[in-house]
Amino acid sequence: MSSAAQLEKKPVKRQKLKKRRTFSRTDRLTLGVFIGIPTFLHVALVWFPAMATIYLSFTYWTGIHIGDIQWAGFANYENIFFNTPIFWDALRVNVVWLVWFGVIATPLGILLAYQIDREIRGHKFYQSAYYLPVVLSLAVIGVIWNFLLRPDGLVNGLLGLEISEAVSFFGDDRYNIWVILTMASWRHIGYIMLLYLAGLKAVDATLREAASIDGATEWQTFKKVVFPAMKPVNIIVIVITIIESLRAFDLIYIIYGSSGGLPILGVLVFQNIAGEGASMKGAAYAVILFLLSIVPIVSYLRQQFKEDVS
Amino acid sequence: MLNKISGHQVDRRLLLKGAAAGGLGIAGATLLSGCAPGASGPMTFGARTVDESPTVQLQGLVAAYTAKTGNEVAYNATESNAFQNNLSQYLQGTPDDCFQWMAGYRMQFFADQGLLEDISDVWDDIGDQYSESYKIASTGLDGKQYFVPQGWYPWGLHFRKSMMAEIGMKPEDIYNWDDFMGALAELKGQGLIGLASADKGGWEAMGTFDILNARINGYQFHVDLLGGREKWTDDRVKEVFRHWEMMLPYQNTNVLDLEWDGAMQLLLQRQAGFFMNGSWFGGNFLEQSQEDYDDLMIVPFPEINPDHGRDTVDAPVDGFCVAKNGGNPDGGKDFIKFAGDMEGVQAMLDTGIPLTSANNGQDKSSYDAFQNAQQAVMDEAKYITQFLDRDTRPDFAGPIVGPAFQSWFKDPSSTDSILESLQSQWDALAPL
Repeated sequence: MSSAAQLEKKPVKRQKLKKRRTFSRTDRLTLGVFIGIPTFLHVALVWFPAMATIYLSFTYWTGIHIGDIQWAGFANYENIFFNTPIFWDALRVNVVWLVWFGVIATPLGILLAYQIDREIRGHKFYQSAYYLPVVLSLAVIGVIWNFLLRPDGLVNGLLGLEISEAVSFFGDDRYNIWVILTMASWRHIGYIMLLYLAGLKAVDATLREAASIDGATEWQTFKKVVFPAMKPVNIIVIVITIIESLRAFDLIYIIYGSSGGLPILGVLVFQNIAGEGASMKGAAYAVILFLLSIVPIVSYLRQQFKEDVS
Repeated sequence: MLNKISGHQVDRRLLLKGAAAGGLGIAGATLLSGCAPGASGPMTFGARTVDESPTVQLQGLVAAYTAKTGNEVAYNATESNAFQNNLSQYLQGTPDDCFQWMAGYRMQFFADQGLLEDISDVWDDIGDQYSESYKIASTGLDGKQYFVPQGWYPWGLHFRKSMMAEIGMKPEDIYNWDDFMGALAELKGQGLIGLASADKGGWEAMGTFDILNARINGYQFHVDLLGGREKWTDDRVKEVFRHWEMMLPYQNTNVLDLEWDGAMQLLLQRQAGFFMNGSWFGGNFLEQSQEDYDDLMIVPFPEINPDHGRDTVDAPVDGFCVAKNGGNPDGGKDFIKFAGDMEGVQAMLDTGIPLTSANNGQDKSSYDAFQNAQQAVMDEAKYITQFLDRDTRPDFAGPIVGPAFQSWFKDPSSTDSILESLQSQWDALAPL
């Protein structure tokens, strides 16, 4: 930046400061209230519980009397890492979930968005059909699919199978995870499609035109022109994919309850902290889940923004 | 097609809205009644069931109480798993004055935390209607009473009389393990499932573990194991799983896909010969039809080790507690006294829903055949246990034992490593 530009900037800044000083008492009060209340709520409802959870994960507590909290050091974490096989099962399921979403569901959503953007025949129908599940919460999706796939559900009924012979969609370890992932993808694909479609609509049409005049194939245009132009949307899609896979809870909870039928980290948090068996092992699970989600996202975003700056 | 789907969706949303509004209504009612003063004012009752039969029974009790005293009672129902999961928060917030709960460790824990109202004076009034064992089951660690029993039910082998008659099997004659294995093999030979089993909920199989452990190793070992005084890695526990494994070929293969009611369906639909469960589901059979209920029968789980015979049974006691933080604890106490008194018991019996009350005043000659059989199962036992998740630490039963049994069903050959893990998780529990 040249020094002339710096000089130029100074008076503008001073003017701004002057302007701020002219705020009346009411203005300040209004601003204080409008900023203060949300800040207070944010701190009280987000930061305080988060910090309290981190603290509690280092304690023994039944969740009832504050006075009963006992310092436990790393005991809860040690217990989880070294004594609790279900933690590793759950971690495996979460990782499979993440890989599935990252490699299959999200790219499928992008592909769909791209096809719909090209206005292939019947695109309006596909758009509504794939978007429909997005308006349902995962809990409702769980209820619907549970109704279809449980032993006395519709699918087994149509197959003419008695309860005892029913295909064990949710119980058989060989494929229950894929059944669940299909259910979750049903919604996730539509969600990604919608986000990406919005992004595609915003890509300047002249870019593509220029690419096709230069003789680029469809795939080359997407890879070299459209995809890079969509960077902000790509970041959102990646972050959403990570968060959705790690925070998965409602779908599993609807189908399996808080039992370990198909263990995932979200359910382990709930199982250990809710109910009669409250122990701060649940808080430790929550912290582990938090770190798992936040570390890749923060490092990814930092890298992206660094690239932007340079 | 699309219109149809979106049409459904609107319905569903409306439904959800309705549910939300209903929830608000209930919350509102709770808040309002929370303000009510005095011993005889309106109070609230929290039911931990939304099932048809028990609801009819409890509403009969509430109506009789209101008719007698003129006190308004707001009836709030919560699905039982959700109720259990929220209990700790519920009792610390604005709970119902009187609520449905269970005897044993689960009650003692919350009494110990100061969340339940001491109702020893209620026991002074109605205690003579109960035998001593029920008073013990209602007593907290401090020697005071916090609970009034509603009813009991035994865990045992349930079957349909008509099915057994067709096959020519006499379940009453199944006395020991060999008899039982023979019967299961015969059922399998007939193309039937020998033993309907479920464990999707994570607790159903605990009843089978309880009875196998008690039969093989005896009451004392079972209680000591659940109390942490014996080790899960003990060879005696391995013996339990060895016997359990012998039963697996005669069970349905989708154990982890069925909850208790799914396994019950197997019996109801005559696909399975036996169903190991608590007798409470008699009400569900009655909902189907009177014939189905009349066809239902129970025998005790067979003897395995002659040293212990059939001397133990899981027979959980359900009942009521008064919450300390309720708006009207005196009202709650007045209600619980009515519920425990023969007058309240009679009101529940009058609804026609089967009940085996803990109250001595219930005329046992009015028992139906199924209830008589339940009584016989009880009478044969010398020791009564509650149930695994009522007899041990809650932070061990639900989050640890439940998933361990489920993983055993996935791979029964991994017994040793599962038991080692159970023991190390017990050892790592927070100190009490």
